[in-house]
Amino acid sequence: MANANTNNTEAEHVSIDSEAAHVISAVEECHDDDDVGALHDVVQGLPSHAVKDLLSVGVCTRCILRLFGIRGNIYSISAISPSILNSVIGEQRHGEDISSNSKESEFEEVLCALCLGILQFTYCDDKEIPVKKESANDMAVAISELVKREGYQIDSFSLEVSVPPIILENEHSVRLYMKRKYGTEPWFQGGPFSQSISAKDALKFSLAKPLETLLDCKSGISNFRIGLTFSHKASKVVQSVAVSKQGCKRIKTGNSIDSLDDSVAGDIKCSDLADATVERSFDGLQDNESSECFKFPLQKVNDACHLVLLCQRTPIYFGGRYLKYSRNVSQTRWIIDDERMGEASVEEIIGSNIQPLCQGDNYKFHAAGREDIDVRMLGSGRPFLVEVQNAHRIPSEAFVREIETNINNLENKLVGVKNLKVVGIEGWTMMREGEAEKQYAALVWISRPLEDVDLDSISSLKDMQILQGTPIRVLHRRSPLQREKIIHWMKIERIGGSSQYFLLHLCTQAGTYIKEFVHGDLGRTHPSIGSILGCRAEILQLDVTDVKMDCFLTE
Amino acid sequence: MKDHSVDHTINLEHEQEQEQDSLHRILVPDVRDLPLTPPSAIESNFVSYFAPDFTKPGHDQYVYRHANGLCVIGLARTHVAFKDTSGITAVDFNVGKSDRSGIKVTGKRKKNAQHFESNSALCKVNTDDASYIVRCCVKGSLLEVNDRLIKQPGLLNSLADREGYIAIIMPKPADWLKVKGSLLGLEEYKKLREC
Repeated sequence: MANANTNNTEAEHVSIDSEAAHVISAVEECHDDDDVGALHDVVQGLPSHAVKDLLSVGVCTRCILRLFGIRGNIYSISAISPSILNSVIGEQRHGEDISSNSKESEFEEVLCALCLGILQFTYCDDKEIPVKKESANDMAVAISELVKREGYQIDSFSLEVSVPPIILENEHSVRLYMKRKYGTEPWFQGGPFSQSISAKDALKFSLAKPLETLLDCKSGISNFRIGLTFSHKASKVVQSVAVSKQGCKRIKTGNSIDSLDDSVAGDIKCSDLADATVERSFDGLQDNESSECFKFPLQKVNDACHLVLLCQRTPIYFGGRYLKYSRNVSQTRWIIDDERMGEASVEEIIGSNIQPLCQGDNYKFHAAGREDIDVRMLGSGRPFLVEVQNAHRIPSEAFVREIETNINNLENKLVGVKNLKVVGIEGWTMMREGEAEKQYAALVWISRPLEDVDLDSISSLKDMQILQGTPIRVLHRRSPLQREKIIHWMKIERIGGSSQYFLLHLCTQAGTYIKEFVHGDLGRTHPSIGSILGCRAEILQLDVTDVKMDCFLTE
Repeated sequence: MKDHSVDHTINLEHEQEQEQDSLHRILVPDVRDLPLTPPSAIESNFVSYFAPDFTKPGHDQYVYRHANGLCVIGLARTHVAFKDTSGITAVDFNVGKSDRSGIKVTGKRKKNAQHFESNSALCKVNTDDASYIVRCCVKGSLLEVNDRLIKQPGLLNSLADREGYIAIIMPKPADWLKVKGSLLGLEEYKKLREC
């Protein structure tokens, strides 16, 4: 076998943890010889003096590759190290082979002055402990362990990386320096430096494939986000004011790097508004001006970046229709002075049956309109959405049907649910669609016996306009306004055994106050049932029998 | 051969009919549970208070207070104005320094609402023989006056306790507590006036 020295080096290079080693070799098998071969070809094509220059300034291997605009899965190959570049440099300088080799291997230990160790998989974790992963795969293992530990069930993921702005500053310095020094050379004219990959994208290129293997799903547009946020104490506030304004903005464009053909180039180049803004502001500066602003050579850094790893699922939505059978249940949680109004709320009954089954952090309830606590919601039900935040599991269709059954079989039968299912963003637009007509049944009493002619005078009124002053019962919290509303149709249904009570069925425009339409609200709603029938009218009970909207209907 | 789509439609219709029937059953009340005369909207939603002889003998006014704090002000049935045989013939909101019917209150915060003391004048009601000043009874912001009374003063004669209300005032909680003590509840008022 080879001599002892070589054996030791090899042993050090391979990771200790046997499980990781198994995975690493599995990953490396994914890299065909094509990939590794392509890597060597690419490296051969680099201008050696420029590469040596960059190395001497303290730029790491991956940064060199990305500055020259090299893209793709090759970033995840663990074989990338300064020694790869030796083949480029070494060939040109035969004489200095041995000495330059030993010099080059030192760079592995020093933090890259450009990416601050990010592309060397070196960082401080949330406990401030410095971490150095030997390869992209090791870092991917750490990430996948977090995902598994937190119990997320996923079928895709999207990587989001945030780096300290000083890196962009450094990059600009490097590019300027290279332009000034090598601008006239033929290889520079081709414009490789203008095709540079950002540190973020290089990191994504490094981690995507290993993570896909470890998590057994594709990376791309996904509702599950793995966020890597790097920060650095030494990171100065960049000159450009625009960065501080834009720095917090997030674009919802998919950072898809699952396909690495050139069509994706546009996405990758401007993957973050903050970067684009910083780039724009740098481009705007004249070359002469910036020579005073930026220092070269780059400052050496001693501390790695601080990394925060955060997994988040974007909210998922459950849509359906609810029914309320009780006159003592409010729609949403209603608490005054530590006392609950009513015995329960629709929001809590439905939400508490959904959220735990998704293992979400919390939920929000949205409904298309509302009814008073003492008004029942019957018939087809009222459309609603339950938004679950950071769900760790997404229930299957069968499971969702089970949730619906559970709610409908609750002992106290206060609330019912229909057509429950997971919906996408289109759920929102469906709920928002216009103002729906509503249909009601009211139990009405009048101060004189009901006559046959009354039934006709009521039925004959179609699309009748009424004027409602803001009801006294809500006047304390709403604007005093006169609201024009339309009563589309009405029908009186006699109640056997009573001459002064009847059921009033009516269909009205959204926003009509029904109780006030019946009793007149001291004359502030006109016309009213009382004024139409020429007597006093009171309402005892109200039920909503239909919410005429197209969403979440039985198919 | 049976047309299955027709069957399906018939089944769906049957299902819908059944749903309608069961809905209907829930809607119709049991007549035996219904009171002969139900409480009025005012009785259900307001607490009635009375200010007898307010600043002047016989000037009996009511204050209906809603659970949300708003107060409806009006003439009680025993008000001396109703003793005139002609009944009320006119209502004029132009009293004191401004025309109370001209104020426009806007927004949730009730901007532009004027603040009045309990003895500030709201309006003047006229009969053939005399005129009487109606006052706020409660210190607070005037949200609205019943300007229907301008065209229909007769509302006061028949429906003073409902459609003939005078105004709606929003007192601050502290101000309400201060005035509450000087008002009579419904039973006390009935006893006082023997009605």
